[in-house]
Amino acid sequence: MTESTIRYGIVIDLRKCVGCNACTVSCKIEYNVPDGKYRTWVKEIEKGSYPEVIRHRLPRLCNHCDNAPCEKACPVQATYRGENGEILIDYNRCIGCKYCMAACPYDARFVNPVRKTAEKCTFCFHRTQAGLLPACVTTCVGGARVFGDLNDPNSLVSRLIANNPVQVLKPEMNTKPTVYYIGADQALMGADYTSLTKGGK
Amino acid sequence: MDITYLANVEHPVQLGYLIAIYFFYTGLSAGSFVLSTLGTVFGIQKYKPIAKAAVVMAIALLAVAPLHLIADLEQPGRFYTLFFRLNPTSAISYGTYLLTLYPLTCVFYLWFMMRKDLALGAQKLTGFRRSLCAFLTFGKRDLSEAVLVQDQKWIKRLGTLGVPLALMVHGYTGFILANVQARTLWHTGLMPLIFLMSAMVSGTGLLILVLLITQRFFSPEKAITPERRAIILDIARLMMWFIVVDGVLMLINFIVLYFGNASGYAAAEMLLHGSHKVSFLGLEIGIGLVLPFLITFWSKTRKSLTMVSLASLFTLIGVIAMRINFVIGGQQVPLSGNTFNPYYAEPKHLIFIGSFALLEVIILYLAFKFLPIYGIEESKKSSTLKMTTPTKAVSAP
Repeated sequence: MTESTIRYGIVIDLRKCVGCNACTVSCKIEYNVPDGKYRTWVKEIEKGSYPEVIRHRLPRLCNHCDNAPCEKACPVQATYRGENGEILIDYNRCIGCKYCMAACPYDARFVNPVRKTAEKCTFCFHRTQAGLLPACVTTCVGGARVFGDLNDPNSLVSRLIANNPVQVLKPEMNTKPTVYYIGADQALMGADYTSLTKGGK
Repeated sequence: MDITYLANVEHPVQLGYLIAIYFFYTGLSAGSFVLSTLGTVFGIQKYKPIAKAAVVMAIALLAVAPLHLIADLEQPGRFYTLFFRLNPTSAISYGTYLLTLYPLTCVFYLWFMMRKDLALGAQKLTGFRRSLCAFLTFGKRDLSEAVLVQDQKWIKRLGTLGVPLALMVHGYTGFILANVQARTLWHTGLMPLIFLMSAMVSGTGLLILVLLITQRFFSPEKAITPERRAIILDIARLMMWFIVVDGVLMLINFIVLYFGNASGYAAAEMLLHGSHKVSFLGLEIGIGLVLPFLITFWSKTRKSLTMVSLASLFTLIGVIAMRINFVIGGQQVPLSGNTFNPYYAEPKHLIFIGSFALLEVIILYLAFKFLPIYGIEESKKSSTLKMTTPTKAVSAP
């Protein structure tokens, strides 16, 4: 495998996200994802109370981390890094130990009950190989999802990251995600423990 | 600020009861192996008589433990690929080798310890046990002094190799959890130590029960002689100290957890007030640590075999609860939601756990029934004592 200089990444501009879940649906169709499982989904919260109230959304997918805990955790090297930096799973190698799911700080993985292996977003590897954009990016109604090469300073993703205040999820985990957000609200970027720490359910 | 969740995806707990019980088995195995080496490697003579029983237990437990892991795989047929697709950063990957090397070392260690008894058994026993002993000597029936001394050397060598292996086999299970930064309850440097100490507690607990039952029913004397009683009470004393260390480690872990980040605090609250309250405060701490400590500490109860065996049983319950609290509880703390992740126990998995437990009992039964673990004939000293000593006899130290 020749070393590629491309490093794929996604910028999700939340100012343009309308929460239509078209990405969720197109991903489900593209991969025939079983019921109740998602490779990408949109987390949505309502903050404040009427009349001072707003909805925030956070489309979620695998972060294809530069320093991926799942890749380190996999005991059989079924999780590996593709030539363009994406984290992929070899379904013929995966033994289904689920350790990667415990190790992922982003809940990005699940067990496919049909194939019986771990599964997650692949940045639409088969589409990018064919020169297409990922399914969720093509379908995004507001054009909130932008896909491109982070190593190319002239790509739209690089320019968006350079010109906007961007966030990644859980930077303290030292995972170095390649999914960037513009305008993400901190209330939905991680877990919310408020109802759990008062002896909650 | 009011936050209402409108949409999110549920992420159920993935590593469940099978993994927790697997940790329990390896812990028991490591604990009993270390106790076995107290006499053979560390040279504490009074523990020598239990060395064989302890290592038989260690092997029997480690034979069954990995079955839990394989049963938990989504692709159990691919488990053998773990041996050649090594990933040095994965605790599971190097654990595979430890899980193979450790029982092998134990088996050789046991064989050198048993060789004399097997050779004697091949001469003096009858029927199936005779053929079994004859077969298991693999032709090495020389009982001359020089060969026996050589055996002792091998026991010491293999035991010395086995101690770090036993500690690593259980230490690595601690690393499986501790290396996962995402789960706060797991991600602590104390985790391998807590696992080791609870392994010692439960290993001692089960060893006491196994010794009581097997010495009573399968030894040539068919009785718990005063010497055996003294050893058991002595091990119970050791167990008390293991409980103390385990409890202290747990307390330290908790204090730091409380001063930790939001998810660490949530994990601590979950164990103290939330869904794991009964299992943590009641089973793990109350029944698993406090009660056995009191029993083995109080002079009135620590001399009674009934109370000591009760304490041993309690430690087992406590350590099972501890494994479940940490393995499942650790994953219940949400990473992206606002409620605890649910755990759906698969009925299939519960059936596996039951069958493996049954298998374990059968293996232990067969081993103690047919192998000359306690020698092949009654030692004269103990048979006379058996008749004269009342059952309540209190033994020395």
